Amino acid sequence: MKHLAVLIALAPLSLPASADTARAVNDLILPSFENFAQGAQVLHQTALADCRSDAVAPAYQAAFDTWMGVSGLRIGPSETGALSIAFWPDDRGFTQRTLARLIDTEDPTGLDPSEYHEMSIAARGLFALDMLLYDPAFNTYGAGDYTCGLVQTITADLDRQADALSTSWAEDYAEVLIGAGAPDNTIYLSSDEAFRALYTQLLSGLEFTADTRLGRPMGTFERPRPKLAEAWRSDRSLGNVLISAQAAQGLAHALAGPELPQTDAAFSQVMLAADRVSDPSFQDLDDPQARLRVEVLQQRVRALYGAIEIEIGAPLGITPGFNSQDGD
Amino acid sequence: MTHHILATSALALSFGLATAAGADVSKTEVLTTYVDIAAAKYDDSLTTAKTLQAAVNNLIDAPSEETLSAARSAWLDARVPYQQSEVYRFGNPIVDDWEGMVNAWPLDEGLIDYVDASYGGPTDANELAALNVIANPSLSIAGKSIDATSITPELISDTLNEADGIETNVARGYHAIEFLLWGQDLNGTGPGAGERPYTDFATGDDCTNGNCDRRADYLRAATDLLVSDLEYMAAQWAPNGAARDTVLTSEGAGLVAILTGMGSLSYGEQAGERMRLGLMLNDPEEEHDCFSDNTHNSHYYDALGIQSAYLGRYVRPDGSVIEGPSLADLTAEVDPALDAEMQSKLEATMSAMSDLKAAADGGFSYDMMLEQGNAEGEALVMGGVNGLIDQTRTIERIVVALGLDQIAFEGSDSLDQPEAVFE
Repeated sequence: MKHLAVLIALAPLSLPASADTARAVNDLILPSFENFAQGAQVLHQTALADCRSDAVAPAYQAAFDTWMGVSGLRIGPSETGALSIAFWPDDRGFTQRTLARLIDTEDPTGLDPSEYHEMSIAARGLFALDMLLYDPAFNTYGAGDYTCGLVQTITADLDRQADALSTSWAEDYAEVLIGAGAPDNTIYLSSDEAFRALYTQLLSGLEFTADTRLGRPMGTFERPRPKLAEAWRSDRSLGNVLISAQAAQGLAHALAGPELPQTDAAFSQVMLAADRVSDPSFQDLDDPQARLRVEVLQQRVRALYGAIEIEIGAPLGITPGFNSQDGD
Repeated sequence: MTHHILATSALALSFGLATAAGADVSKTEVLTTYVDIAAAKYDDSLTTAKTLQAAVNNLIDAPSEETLSAARSAWLDARVPYQQSEVYRFGNPIVDDWEGMVNAWPLDEGLIDYVDASYGGPTDANELAALNVIANPSLSIAGKSIDATSITPELISDTLNEADGIETNVARGYHAIEFLLWGQDLNGTGPGAGERPYTDFATGDDCTNGNCDRRADYLRAATDLLVSDLEYMAAQWAPNGAARDTVLTSEGAGLVAILTGMGSLSYGEQAGERMRLGLMLNDPEEEHDCFSDNTHNSHYYDALGIQSAYLGRYVRPDGSVIEGPSLADLTAEVDPALDAEMQSKLEATMSAMSDLKAAADGGFSYDMMLEQGNAEGEALVMGGVNGLIDQTRTIERIVVALGLDQIAFEGSDSLDQPEAVFE
């Protein structure tokens, strides 16, 4: 009987069907985009009421949380759309430079929400706000200053982007994924292809968290790089790791059902390791003990990746496809 | 983590293999064409780099408009075969581990030589962004003092390149040489490339911008390094070379190398990092060959290399052709419609790249296309990006059709050793 129970539990996994993709899209992905659109809207309304950094910060944090629920998806409307919402990493300091130039010259585009979509992505979205709201070189502006208007423009642009992204997913790309294999579907020729596309997004999101969100600030033992952590100014570095792992766990279940014991166990280990990290912005990585705790967290994220491969990839005979992080 | 490949169900796998078993084209023949073309591309890269080396020596020995112009055109010629070889990168670890010495990009060029005031100084991300080795015989890197009295290939390779562990400290390779031949392009998104005067290499009172002898030493040393780096890689693909033998050792792994190289270069690197990101940043320095305004050619020949890996055909700089049994033949035997789909998508990408190249050759240079709000430029660049992304989906389908999933599984640590994950 024990064997039978195992077989029953595994049965839905043996044949990925459009039902699994539909469940992931309808029950998880679309509501998560709506949630993000809501978060961006509240952020913009907050900034309109009072643009100063202390007033905007809580809504900014909440909106960023909602973005992390969908940040790992880089297909369809998000293929390009995600880049102008969250431009990071920024190896050459484009955000700092572009914002400083806008403010120094009081560029009128910075006060024009209807034109701001033409602006470099370095000055748009969440990471531009992170700099303006938290960096002491920017965040002391008053209600009548250019920077105040710039913050409102960026939140307006973000609100519009979040709406557009959520709408495109709901009205267009959801059907592309769910309707895989339909005669007019040139993107996914079968339900297997659509399922694999989401599986690839799931794993490449975790790979990004391990290699980039954690790996970049860790640098080498001799030369840690805390300033290369994601959103360290707003103390979000650790939180972003956790929410992205949580989003991955959620997508894994949405794709493959409730019975993923190894994945769930691996996720618990991620939580435990995160609990031990001493600075949520990873700014103490110069301390070998602190660095070790972040390294353990990185190993736990990779173990979560491995558990998902074992519980979803192996039974179905699939490995992830190419992803947008495959370059250098 | 390694680059993963899409796989297929066991049913499709056995079907694919059964069909391929009766094939006219053997996998070994396909792989032999692939390694022969690699050998030719790296050999041509080496030959054209040696021509560049001779031109650089002429420039240094007798600086003039003519010798500078000759060195620049030798550099442009050298890019043609090299960019076509980039499709060998991601699938072959020997190439991928080496590539950063030759074609690293983007670079903080202020590490090497003087820059315009608009460049700024050191940044958060790179304290050495404005180090200026050419002007400073004595340097401090990460708290360590460095004697840079003589600029040698060893100083560049052992101390300066990726100094302080920062990837944008690119001290060697094509783009470092490009900067020394052209200088910064200060035209923004307007027409025109870098305008370094030949007198930057002149001796005595004719020297402009100071330290011409050290600048000449740097250019010579960097060019010598490029030649020796390419000698190394050409040897890896020559008969009994390690890269060649690795591909020929396993039929499955060899085919995975071809497809991984095509897919990773198409999508993450070329469409993503090099084209779309630069477009969305609207930054004229976010182009691959930013000093020389040669980016359109770099993109064109990269894409041509991807097509070449599939068709098993390469046209050498002297006009001769190397061709043989190809991945296209192999795919056609398993699924003719899929082969037709791949060929038409590769052609669509080349057509978009040709449009981009024609516009740039006609004076609408790549950095002008990146200008904020420039709709024509955006359409040209995104035409290439969309073609590259679209062809990646078909590359994934070929992996499935050829039943290469088991090989991909073998490349996964966690599936190979599940217990290792929970250590």
